[in-house]
Amino acid sequence: MTAPIPRDIPLPLPAPEGFLEILLIASFLLHIIFVHLMVGGSLFSLACQIKGLKAPDYEKLAYRIMQTVTVNKSLAVVMGVAPLLIINTLYAPQFYASSALIGDMWMAIIPMVTLAFLLAYLHKFWWHHFINLPELHIGIAALETGLFLFIPLIFMTNVNLMLFPEYWPEVKGFLSAMLLPNVLQRYLHFLSASVLFTALFFVGWTGRKRFQEEAGFNELKIITVRRFFYAYAFGAAIFQILTGLMALASLPTQGMGWNFILILTFGGALALPALWWMWRNLTQPSHLLDDDFKRIIACFACAAIFMGIARHEYRENALADHKTAISEKTANYQAAVKEAGEQARQTAKKPEGIVSAPGESAFNKNCAACHHATLPTVGPALQEIKTLYADNPSGIVVWTKAPGKKRADSMTMPGFPQLSDEELTAISQYILKH
Amino acid sequence: MDFPIFHIDFIGNRLLIAVDAILHVLINHAFAVGALPVVALLEFLGMRSQDPRWDNLAYRLLKIIFILTTTVGALTGVGIWFSAALVNPAAIGSLIRVFFWGWFVEWLVFVCEVSLIMAYFLSWQTANRSPETKLKHLRLGIFLAVFSWITMAIIVAILGFMMDPGNWLTERTLLSGLFNPMYFPQLALRTTLAMVMGGITMICLSYWHTRDDRGFRATVTEVLSKWSGIWMLGLIVASVWYYRVIPELMLANIPVAFATQEYAGWNGRLKVLLIVGLMYVSRILWVSVKRPGQVHGAKYLVSALLLFAMLGQFERVREFIRKPFIIGNYMYANGIRVEDYPLLQRDGILQHATYASIREVTADNQPAAGREVFEQACTRCHTVNGVNSIRGQLKNMYGDKPWQSEAIAAYIENMHGARYFMPPFPGNKAELNALSVYLASLQKRAAPFNGAQINGIPKPDHISTAISYGILPNLGIHHGEQR
Repeated sequence: MTAPIPRDIPLPLPAPEGFLEILLIASFLLHIIFVHLMVGGSLFSLACQIKGLKAPDYEKLAYRIMQTVTVNKSLAVVMGVAPLLIINTLYAPQFYASSALIGDMWMAIIPMVTLAFLLAYLHKFWWHHFINLPELHIGIAALETGLFLFIPLIFMTNVNLMLFPEYWPEVKGFLSAMLLPNVLQRYLHFLSASVLFTALFFVGWTGRKRFQEEAGFNELKIITVRRFFYAYAFGAAIFQILTGLMALASLPTQGMGWNFILILTFGGALALPALWWMWRNLTQPSHLLDDDFKRIIACFACAAIFMGIARHEYRENALADHKTAISEKTANYQAAVKEAGEQARQTAKKPEGIVSAPGESAFNKNCAACHHATLPTVGPALQEIKTLYADNPSGIVVWTKAPGKKRADSMTMPGFPQLSDEELTAISQYILKH
Repeated sequence: MDFPIFHIDFIGNRLLIAVDAILHVLINHAFAVGALPVVALLEFLGMRSQDPRWDNLAYRLLKIIFILTTTVGALTGVGIWFSAALVNPAAIGSLIRVFFWGWFVEWLVFVCEVSLIMAYFLSWQTANRSPETKLKHLRLGIFLAVFSWITMAIIVAILGFMMDPGNWLTERTLLSGLFNPMYFPQLALRTTLAMVMGGITMICLSYWHTRDDRGFRATVTEVLSKWSGIWMLGLIVASVWYYRVIPELMLANIPVAFATQEYAGWNGRLKVLLIVGLMYVSRILWVSVKRPGQVHGAKYLVSALLLFAMLGQFERVREFIRKPFIIGNYMYANGIRVEDYPLLQRDGILQHATYASIREVTADNQPAAGREVFEQACTRCHTVNGVNSIRGQLKNMYGDKPWQSEAIAAYIENMHGARYFMPPFPGNKAELNALSVYLASLQKRAAPFNGAQINGIPKPDHISTAISYGILPNLGIHHGEQR
């Protein structure tokens, strides 16, 4: 397998490469947090709604959760603009290529996200209209959640495909790109992260003093709700480690390197103390859910930052040779462009002795496209025009100033307002002498 | 174009961007830039008069604005990037390199705008606790309106740049690109147009929301008509200014830009239509200030639709008069730089296209090679069978007479002279002939034409994996010092 080597955009980067890379990692982390809260929130709201069929208080909880989804989804989109911009800047030859290869599904993201957002509003603002139609009510939530689950898979497919130019010639459409090694593993890793971060977020969110009054539960105790989220967070964290190991094991070797493994291990290790604290708080009666909560959050946040850096290291490793080859090709191409440009300028200067007939260059520029010397093409051939206007050179000028449609089987001639009377006269003389 | 060619043959690449962009600009102008000041104005009037009806109406309008702008509005904005990156990556990639910091600042403003609209909308009910919190809330609304205008002000710089890069061609700096000669007139036109559109759209929505309270409806329409009327005066001044600044060369293109070629003759009538439209809207505003409550709601709706149509037409013309370029005097609409032409015309476009599968035109591969040339040079704007189809163009030109490849070649070679909006043919003579053979073959039979999203890319050959060009030496850049 060999990778195609395209050329880069031949304009300088707007800032030092390293600086843009830091900006990319930071803005991507910001974006992905809100994506997690949006996807996870939508999942939890759906789950609680289904649970609410039997225990009505959970339906109230689902409604509260939905309030956070519509806020987080707007932040997810707006935060995504910066990493998209930087990816476009730093990885133009790779990112545009992979986007084109899955182009229809990539473009479909826009209507799908729009639809998911509209469904989310429909769900939230009309909550109480649908309350007696549980099928429809849950159906809307399920459709919205389904879209929120599918859309990240498209992103995942694209950012994976851009890493491996040697796979590009094999790819035929979205499905084949999605089935490349590592996409589904990384996707599962992403999903468990969504559940983990959202569940932790809700443990904190339901712990606020005002939550009791906002939710208005009849029977359900706040502590039960919090334990519910806490248990999910713990389970998701375990799942997160397993899917992470799976994703690592299936990573293509192209981007492997000790720098990457080291950062990854360090990030992964940070999750371990957090897991221990969570386990203790869940199982030991002497501990509260809020014990060490800030530390747990800090551990996971640091782990996420390290993972973000490791992810970038892998990308840089995988593309290092391709990037070098691209810069060389681009520089060589620019040299070839320059040389050909020089050559063209030299040839353009040469014909000194030849004096062109007046009107000839204006004719070639404006008329030759449609009027061939002998062939009737778009308009009539020059021979025919000559016979028509043999005694009437000014007739050509008059016609060209206000052309119309003469022949049923050809198109109307456009006007030439940019040509002066002198130029038109010169052209008409050139035609008649031809 | 040195990227895999994404192509949708039915609606065409141009229309894909156009649908998304027009939807975006309508929502942006009518429901964000022009509408948010109206909401703040209504909230202010409610605070001054202590009449809760103003506040209720303002909140209801904001709810519609909130839902529309944070879904369709925001996503079609991202969609312009998505579609532009698929359709013409060379152009959007170049623009991003030049305007990176402009777009980055745009992003920061955008984050503020989204945060502000959420804060403004979601805190509306709780803000009524005390006059102090209400005043703070109104300030949020004013900030929001300002930020929403700033996002537009930044993007207009980039649009202006595409039409006329001004000093950028020689200076190549962000600022010279940002403050190109088109900037201020375009900003003035868009600002005033957005305000009138926003005002009238909000009149329409208020008309509906006040259907049970005729008296209040009359007061609201009077106030909003006055507001829109003031901006209307500005709009007329701004249109004249804008029209006078458009470079002469571009002005020469306008008769074709307003409508497709065959409708060029309609241009005069179309202009009349535009003027009549503005006069109609002005009259409706005038009457509704003079005789409040007596103008039928349908007339406001017609006014809003007229303004929408005018804006759509304006965007179309704007997009068209930059042709044949996608970035004025730097890159043609086919994604090929002006600078690249001598090389491609000498060696052939296929020799330098990383993702082409045929390199040389021979006697027996002409139709297949011609198809590749078509893919590289024409598909950014033309389809085979869909919107702006090449088949349709050829049928217009040659009708049912047999399409002759010689005649087509003679036409394409000189076409940019007579059709200002077409770039010159970028390949060499053999490729021109191959293209013409392919095009002539379309009279009888056109095989389905799919892009890289369906066909994928060809297996890399000696050219697509090479780093150096022909006899030129490899400049050998060492790792770490690239770019």
